[in-house]
Amino acid sequence: MIPLSWYLALSAVLFTIGVVGVIIKRNVISMFMCIELMLNAVNLTFVAFSSYFGDVTGQLFVFIVMTVAAAEAAVGLGIVIAIFRNRESLDVDDASVLRL
Amino acid sequence: MNLSFAIPLSAPDVNFRLLLPELILSVTGVVVMLVDAFTGRSQRRATATLSLAGLAATAWATLWLWPSAQGADTRAWGGMIVLDPMRLSFTLVFLIVAALTVLISAIWVEWEGLPAGEFHTLLLFATVGMMLMASGNDLVMIFLGLEILSIATYVMAGFRKNDLRSNESSLKYFILGSFSSAFLLYGIALVYGATAHEVSAQPQASGALAQHVILAGTTNISAIAERVNDGLYPPLLFAGAAMLMIGFGFKIASAPFHVWTPDVYEGAPTPVTAFMAAGPKAAGFAAFMRVFLLAFPFVAASGQMRSTGAQLHDAWLGALWILAVLTMTVGNVVALVQTNVKRMLAYSSIAHAGYALVGFVAAGAADSAHQTDAVAAVVFYLLAYAVMNLGAFAVVTLIARSGDRRTDIEDYRGIGFDSPALSLTLSLFLLSLLGVPLTAGFMGKVMVFSQALGEGYKWLVVIGVLNTAISVYYYLGLIVVMFFRERTTEWRAPRIPTTLAVVLVLTVAGVIYLGLFPGRVINAFRAVQPIAVSSLR
Repeated sequence: MIPLSWYLALSAVLFTIGVVGVIIKRNVISMFMCIELMLNAVNLTFVAFSSYFGDVTGQLFVFIVMTVAAAEAAVGLGIVIAIFRNRESLDVDDASVLRL
Repeated sequence: MNLSFAIPLSAPDVNFRLLLPELILSVTGVVVMLVDAFTGRSQRRATATLSLAGLAATAWATLWLWPSAQGADTRAWGGMIVLDPMRLSFTLVFLIVAALTVLISAIWVEWEGLPAGEFHTLLLFATVGMMLMASGNDLVMIFLGLEILSIATYVMAGFRKNDLRSNESSLKYFILGSFSSAFLLYGIALVYGATAHEVSAQPQASGALAQHVILAGTTNISAIAERVNDGLYPPLLFAGAAMLMIGFGFKIASAPFHVWTPDVYEGAPTPVTAFMAAGPKAAGFAAFMRVFLLAFPFVAASGQMRSTGAQLHDAWLGALWILAVLTMTVGNVVALVQTNVKRMLAYSSIAHAGYALVGFVAAGAADSAHQTDAVAAVVFYLLAYAVMNLGAFAVVTLIARSGDRRTDIEDYRGIGFDSPALSLTLSLFLLSLLGVPLTAGFMGKVMVFSQALGEGYKWLVVIGVLNTAISVYYYLGLIVVMFFRERTTEWRAPRIPTTLAVVLVLTVAGVIYLGLFPGRVINAFRAVQPIAVSSLR
C-alpha cells in the first residue's frame, strides 16, 4: 500500500505548482486554472486523509469544495468576459489602469 | 476501500431558532431577487425598502437571541452553529454595515442606471455569508460563509460593467481572493489530518492486548481545541495554522498580504468600497478570531515536555504581533503619499486592521476571563471603524458624482466653505479615523490599546501610538485641502439627497454616541446586563 506521506507530498507539490503558476502566469485564464490546481491539490489531501482514517467526512468536504469551485468558476469567467469586452486582452499586465 | 462514519449517522440537531437571523436574511434575499425578476426595471425603491425591512427583521432576531447567548442551548446542527456574544455582536456590526450600504448606494444606482435589485440581492447574500462566518463553529461552515461572501463581493466590485477600473478591480479581487481561499482551504485540510489521534480501545475481557485505534481528524473548532495536544502529526498542525493565518490575513488585508487592497478599493464603485472596507474585513476578523482563539488556545501538557498546544499558541501569537506591527506601519506610511482619496482611505483601512490586530493579540494572550473583554474591544473597534468609514465614503460618493470622476485629493481643494454640510461631516469622520478624543475612533483605540497594555504588550502599544501620530499628516492634510486651499477646478455644491442625508445623520450620531457613551455598547458585547451609566468613563 502506498503510504499516506506520498499522497501528502504529491498534493503539496501540486499546490506549490499552482501557487507558482498564479504568480508567474500573465494570462487570466491560466492564472485561474492554477487556482483550480491549488483547490484540487487540497482535495487530494482531503481524500488521502479520509481514506487513510477510514472516515468519510473528508470526502464530504471535497464535494463542498467542488461545488464552491464551480460557483467561483462561473463568476470568474463572467468577470473575464466583462473585462475582455472592454479591453480585448486577457493579459494581466494590460490591466494597469490602477497602479499597483 | 473501507469507509465508515466516525460517528453513527443520526439526525442532526435541527434548531431553527439558533439560525433565525441567517434564515430571515436569506429569505429576504430570495424575495428581493424575485421581486426584481418579476417586476419592471425601475424597482429601486421597492427592493431597497424590502432589503432594509429584511435587515431590520434580522436585527430584531439577533437582539431576541441575545439573552440566550449564555444559556445552555448554544450549539446546534451537529456543533456547526454556535450562539455566543462574539457571534451576535459581529452580526450586529454586519447588519449596520449592510443597511448603511443600501442607503449610500441609493443615489449611486440612480445616477448610473444600474439594476438595483441585483445589487441589493448580492448585498444581502454577502451579508448572510458574513453572518455565517461569525456563527460557524466548524471550519467547513466558516469556509462556506467566506465563499458566499466573496463570490457576491467579486460581482459587486465589478458592478459597473462598462468601466475599465471596475472590471480591473473585480478581476484583481477575484484572482487574489480565490488564491487566498485556496490557502485557507489547504490549512483546513492539514488541520483535519493533523488532529487525528490515537486512542487505546478498552482491553478485552479475555486479556487481549490493548488495541490502538486511530480516530479521524476533525474540523470542528471545539474538537480541534481538545485534540491540539494529542494530535498524531503536530508538524502538520503548525503548517495548517500557518496556512489559515495566510488565508485570513488576505481577507482582513493585513500586511504583507495587503497588496490587492488599494487597487480593488480604488477601482470598485464607491458604495461597494465602503461596504468592502467595513463588512468583509469585520467578517474576516470574526472568523480569524474564532479559529485562532478557540481552536488553538494555550493548552498545557501534563508531562514535562512543552506541549504542542503551548508551542502553537506561542507561535501564532508571535506571528500575529509581527503582522499587527507591519500592518499598522505599512498602511499609515504608504497612505502619506496618496493622491486619490479612495486609495488613501484604502491604506487607512489597512492601518485600521492593524489597530484591531493589536486587540486580537491581547485577546490571544489573555486568560479566559479577560478574553471576552479583549474580544469585545476588537468588535467595538470594528463597529466604530465601520460607522466612521461608511460615513466618510458616503461623502466621497456624493462628491465623486456619477462614474466616480472626482476622487482625487485635488478635487477637494477649497470646497470647504461652499458645501459646509459635506466638508464638516467629512472632517468629523476623518478626525474620528485619526482618533481625536470624543469620537468613536478614539474610544476604539483606547479600548484595544488598554487591553494590549493589560497583557503587557508595551511595545505594541507604543508602535500603535506612533502610527497614530503618522496618520495625523494625511487625515488633517485632507481637511486642510478642503478648507485652506484655493479652488482650481470648477465646483458646484451637490444637493444632498434624502437617503444620503439619513446616512450622514446616522453616522455622525453614531460617531458621537460611541465616542461619548461607549459603555452600553461594550457591555452588551461582553453580554453582561446593559447598565445605564457607563462604567468606562
